Amino acid sequence: MSAVLAIAVKDLRQRLRDRSAIVLGFVAPLAVAWLISMAFGSTGSFHANVAVVDLDRGPVAAGFTTFVKSPDLAKLLTVTSAATEADARAMVNKGDLGAAFVIPQGFSDAVTSGNGRPITILTSVDSSIAGQVAQSLAESYTAQIEAVQLSVKTAVASGAPAASVEKLAAEAATARIPEQTVTQASGAKALSAINYYAPAMAIFFSFFAIGFGARGFFLERSGGTLDRLAAAPIGPGTILLGKSLATFVYGMASLGTVALFTSLVFGAYWGPPLAVAALIVALALTLVGLTALVITAARTERQSEGFASILTFGLVLLGGNFVFVGEAPQLVRTLALFTPNGWALRALTDFSGGADWTAGVMPLMAILAFALGTGAVAFTLRRRVVNL
Amino acid sequence: MLKAAHLTRRFGDRVAVDDVSFSVAAGETYGLLGPNGAGKTTTIRLVCGLLSADRGEVTVAGMPVSSSDPKAKAHIGYVPQDVSLYPDLTARENLTFFGRLYRLKGAALRQRIDEVLDLIDLKDRGDDRVESYSGGMRRRLNIGASLLHRPSLLILDEPTVGVDPQSRHAILESIRALGLEGLAVVYTTHYMEEAEKLCDRIGIIDHGHLIAEGTSRELVAQVGQKDRITMSANGSLAAFADACRSMEGIDSVDVTDSSVQLLAEDGRLRLAQVLEAASRTGTSVRSVEVDEPDLEAVFLHLTGTALRE
Repeated sequence: MSAVLAIAVKDLRQRLRDRSAIVLGFVAPLAVAWLISMAFGSTGSFHANVAVVDLDRGPVAAGFTTFVKSPDLAKLLTVTSAATEADARAMVNKGDLGAAFVIPQGFSDAVTSGNGRPITILTSVDSSIAGQVAQSLAESYTAQIEAVQLSVKTAVASGAPAASVEKLAAEAATARIPEQTVTQASGAKALSAINYYAPAMAIFFSFFAIGFGARGFFLERSGGTLDRLAAAPIGPGTILLGKSLATFVYGMASLGTVALFTSLVFGAYWGPPLAVAALIVALALTLVGLTALVITAARTERQSEGFASILTFGLVLLGGNFVFVGEAPQLVRTLALFTPNGWALRALTDFSGGADWTAGVMPLMAILAFALGTGAVAFTLRRRVVNL
Repeated sequence: MLKAAHLTRRFGDRVAVDDVSFSVAAGETYGLLGPNGAGKTTTIRLVCGLLSADRGEVTVAGMPVSSSDPKAKAHIGYVPQDVSLYPDLTARENLTFFGRLYRLKGAALRQRIDEVLDLIDLKDRGDDRVESYSGGMRRRLNIGASLLHRPSLLILDEPTVGVDPQSRHAILESIRALGLEGLAVVYTTHYMEEAEKLCDRIGIIDHGHLIAEGTSRELVAQVGQKDRITMSANGSLAAFADACRSMEGIDSVDVTDSSVQLLAEDGRLRLAQVLEAASRTGTSVRSVEVDEPDLEAVFLHLTGTALRE
């Protein structure tokens, strides 16, 4: 056992002195999680500055201005007025406005006569979301007017007295088109980007431990130190176990650090702590199994780097570390279940959606089975390690 | 201490080591001499259990050596041909790691590391990373790492390759001292001077076969090589040559315009007699050289090729 520890401690010491291992294991996942947090972190509080260019000055145009300035939209929009379309376009291009509504001259007359004229939306590629929101609001307003007109026409056609048209129109205008349905997460909470990408990036970068571990082994072989290990009174299994332990500790440290840091600093929610810890242990064991598999399968350092890269990118692509698998086609979702990271992300996504620790049991079993399977194959082939 | 019997190892169709047998006693330094590719390193790897033999057996301290049974390996100190250390660790960290593989720990390990660093003259640099060491220092540490656990058999695979003369001298002296302390040493080299100076017995290996074995003198005697005495001289060289031919122990005499060459047994012992004959025959001797046969000549005789080829 002391030889296993000696090999593990030595490997970890070397890894800590290797800056690239520190960067990939700790700095990179935190940096990427931070970037994602910055990029998507403010989606819940979207706000845009918009302007209304009222070239019509009629009652329907005034109604639109009142509509976009309503208290309901105050959190979403800050609305100002612009004198001309050119002024509005200049402000949009400069970035002062996210979008602008241009109400064309004759808009009110056209609408009341039943010949709708569209409101023009000015936006830029830098503020596409503001443009989409503005477009939706304009369409919503014109749809509301068309609905009122349709209601009144229907009432008149049904025999309502002409004298009551004004009253009917006023009543119809107070009735709102029902809100559209919005897709919600199945759990009690919506899945935020940081909750998904913090663990996704942590797992992705932890997979680089496979390459580090395998490369370290083949450097030992080419540097002759593996001969020294093999000449010592220890078996090949001891060498493999020692190196595996180093990979396990490195994987645990990397995943654990990123989990803690993203939770405390970025507010990411990974899940119930004990369940998350169990998943991290299982994932670290998977790293051990995969590293051992690469070491026993490869014959050269270059081959081991190739195998490790294929494994890493194959697993993260299939498992959904780069794209949210829940929104992918069924085939992709099924393939993700053949990867330990796919199972881990499934559990963490459920946790993030409000599920309790029991949601992690099946993924934990699947990940452990993966670790055990790869480890068993590697252990069976352990003699290839030192006795070629 | 070491018995290797009928060791045979093939790599595909090539027989790298073919029926090699030798033994080394405690306190004895045994040299495996042969050119590059002769099978020295494969033999060493078989002895250390780094390779399994297709046939044959190795025992160290009475225990069989195998890649699966680590007991006998605890008695072996192995110095690989290339410097096999971790350059990003300090000498002390390297030694601590290798010591732990041999179950040394705590204060005993720390004390032993100090002793070894002292022995290889690196005590002042023990806390520096190996990557900052010179080639000679690395070689010394390479040997030191094999001595930590006080092995009873030290196996060195060409430890002086690429080493400057000063470091080579230091390495040879330390190995000689270890032999005197009772350590059994197996030393592979393709430098015949090293084998002659250092080894009590020498095995000559070529193309995987151990073709001769014995002390340096025994090996020379086995192939019947004589000493060559070359004299530059003036005067009556023919009379001088005749006088030499009549002497006991002189096998042949060749005369050229200004020199005489003699083949003799124990040339240095015959020298006084030869000079007396020169004086007696009126021959004025300007210079004398005595060339004793060496392992190079033995190797040439046994294999038909020079050792350094």
